[in-house]
Amino acid sequence: MSHNLIEMLLRSESGEGPPSALASLKQAIEDHGEITDDDRRAAAARSGLPEATVYGISTYYDDFTQVRGDRHLRACTGTACWAARFDAQILELEEGLGLRVGQRSPDATLSLGEAVCLGMCHSAPAYRDGDTVDAGLGALQRLLNGSATEAFEPDWSSVLDRPVLTAAGTFNGLRRALAEMTPDSYLAEVKEANLRGRGGAGFPAGVKWEFARNSPGDQKFIVVNGDEGDPGSYIDKYLMERNPDLLIEGVALAGYAVGATHGLIYARSEYPRSAPALREAIARAHERGDLGDDIYASGFDFQITVEEGAGSYLAGEETALLNSLQGLRATVSVRPPFPAEKGYHELPTVINNVETLCNAPFIAEHGAQAYAGLSPGATPGTKLICLNERFVNPGVFEVRFATTLTEICHGLGGGLKDGHEIKALQIGGPLGGILPGDRLDTLLDFDELAAEGCMVGHGGIVAFDERTNMRELACHLLDFGARESCGKCFPCRIGLQRGLEMVQAPGDLDRDRLEELLETLEVASLCAHGAAMPAPIRSLIAHWPQELGV
Amino acid sequence: MEVFVDGESVEVEPGATALIATRLAGRTVATLCFDDRTAAFGACRVCLVAIEGAKAPVASCATPCREGMKISTRDERANRIAANVVELVLSELPSPPAPHTELAQVAEQLGIGQPRWTGATHPVDHDVSHPYLVLQRELCISCGRCVRVCDEVQGAFALTATGRGFNSTIAAGLNSGFAASTCVSCGACADTCPTDAITESFLFDIADQAGQGE
Ligand SMILES: Cc1cc2nc3c(=O)[nH]c(=O)nc-3n(C[C@H](O)[C@H](O)[C@H](O)COP(=O)(O)O)c2cc1C
Ligand code: SF4
Ligand code: SF4
Ligand code: FES
Repeated sequence: MSHNLIEMLLRSESGEGPPSALASLKQAIEDHGEITDDDRRAAAARSGLPEATVYGISTYYDDFTQVRGDRHLRACTGTACWAARFDAQILELEEGLGLRVGQRSPDATLSLGEAVCLGMCHSAPAYRDGDTVDAGLGALQRLLNGSATEAFEPDWSSVLDRPVLTAAGTFNGLRRALAEMTPDSYLAEVKEANLRGRGGAGFPAGVKWEFARNSPGDQKFIVVNGDEGDPGSYIDKYLMERNPDLLIEGVALAGYAVGATHGLIYARSEYPRSAPALREAIARAHERGDLGDDIYASGFDFQITVEEGAGSYLAGEETALLNSLQGLRATVSVRPPFPAEKGYHELPTVINNVETLCNAPFIAEHGAQAYAGLSPGATPGTKLICLNERFVNPGVFEVRFATTLTEICHGLGGGLKDGHEIKALQIGGPLGGILPGDRLDTLLDFDELAAEGCMVGHGGIVAFDERTNMRELACHLLDFGARESCGKCFPCRIGLQRGLEMVQAPGDLDRDRLEELLETLEVASLCAHGAAMPAPIRSLIAHWPQELGV
Repeated sequence: MEVFVDGESVEVEPGATALIATRLAGRTVATLCFDDRTAAFGACRVCLVAIEGAKAPVASCATPCREGMKISTRDERANRIAANVVELVLSELPSPPAPHTELAQVAEQLGIGQPRWTGATHPVDHDVSHPYLVLQRELCISCGRCVRVCDEVQGAFALTATGRGFNSTIAAGLNSGFAASTCVSCGACADTCPTDAITESFLFDIADQAGQGE
């Protein structure tokens, strides 16, 4: 992260706070379908950034690089949509429209772009027409007819009698913490509860909060990672859109524990309804006095603002998220310094996943012991998981940790549709390993999945049925990996491209070369994107060597 | 603070990185994105070393020294993987780097000749609009050194990284010609560029003529 650029932003932000370069560029492309040099100059002037910097930003994000016509359609190229029809729908759409992905009609009335996961994985394949997200049966035809309708989202459910995450937020936890606990005693409770991050890495939230609390800084921030980039996940989408109060309460609690008065939620632009739902809920919380100055007459002030992303998987990586939140390119920064010391505006910042923070209210209301009692296994608390369209009952489910995948896939999911069989599961996002369908006795928990080369990750579960070709899956995954690489570190920037070329070329793979490449990615990459993209490929080598061609 | 490089004791200032320690010990750990005038960037991943107790090699330019830390510049795995990374870098260029460039020298130091990889390379794309500087995009390895010196040393902010993934490269100003950017012609970018992707025009002309004479 460039210190000078942040200084420039801060200088121009004093006062009203002009829109970030991202917001300016987004306005431009929404207004006239592409970004011109005049738009870049205007964005530079308003944000305080150099013109070259704004040029770089405008070439990074999907929302800026895909030209738009009066009507802009997007096809989802995420993994759940791939698992449904192996991209046949993209070809049908292209043929039906007479446009290829990335093209705009000569009269500029129509354009076709793509998005990586629209959060409708339960009804894949999914499409977006303007801000309407349509998916599932008949969606392609509706899109071609110009009659797209908002897709139906299945209700979520919990296996618990008293759900933690799927029941509406009450602010009882915040009330109790502000009345009965000091920031230190609440922080101690969260540490004791061993709340592990739900964004992928599983890092203990209390430890992170304490680090930020102890870092010197006049001001501190809580940043909420609502980028949910994992194709096949729509958990945070449900939380942000159906239970924003729970999230708001969790963010305020984190602020209380850390000594922050400002929270920032970064919501991805692929979910057009998330940011508005959050803003509305925040406004209501202010009216009720759950946010604002001197909350519940406790002396604690807290406010939350919402920013929208612009289309990038890597923007979900925490240092890239900070760059993006400040309106810059979503590329990764080296750590140290860690965000807890030097984050947003170079001040101590906690970055947590949406779901992680949604656990904070329960801990405040009921304490660490009750939290530990929610699950029978090693990991306390509960987990939201979501199932893709292949299942009979796709949707979001709150489960206990240490539930078997059989219970999840067959008990809750009802198995696959039309008598299809589970050939494999990818759990926890594109960086997660792939579990063969005959290992569903594995428990959904950190250590148990790690032993299978898999992870809990963020909890999205994508089932692949017996029609799936594993070499083609390798192509799909590496294509995603290469295209979403932020491009900063050399092993990932070049290595994922080479890996993709390798699996796309016809014929058998040179196993030694492939494993050498995977090791280089794992050891040398700057962030977990390059370092963990090999995980699913290693699973394919281990379990389907012949199909992969090694 | 005392650290050990290949068993040799070295005294470093607090805040020093493992890379600095190796240099103080007289070792030449290869780097491509490092420029000591700018903040640690950690992009090239060529400066890998082993640290006792660490599971895998680490990028020395972004690893702070700790009291008593034991650094090895001779670790087989670290050196092998660093060489793999440089081989990947060579494979993205449409033609080998000129022998005098830092990239060519690093490749030689790590014993890499012709890369085994085939596949996409960067398209030839020259910007000769600037009176003193030439940008040959196909040679850019996105090390970010030019962007950082222009920002952190010169304060001209004329350059930026562009694109993402394999298509990342750099641009000046709004990418409508180097000459039209806020470049102040200090030459810091050409000076730091490890591949001659940005170079001084007269050197480019000489190389161009030599190329045509062949
Ligand atoms: C390539 C990449 C993408 C990521 N995407 C997300 C994401 O979309 N949402 C998220 O919460 N965390 C994501 N993370 C993890 C974040 O870096 C970070 O660890 C997390 O937000 C911390 O929150 P937690 O501790 O509450 O999990 C991603 C990490 C990587 C390496
Ligand atoms: S591993 Fe990939 S995504 Fe992560 S920093 Fe390196 S280039 Fe960027
Ligand atoms: S032009 Fe040269 S210094 Fe700049 S990023 Fe490319 S290779 Fe590095
Ligand atoms: S909506 Fe297509 S993968 Fe999620």
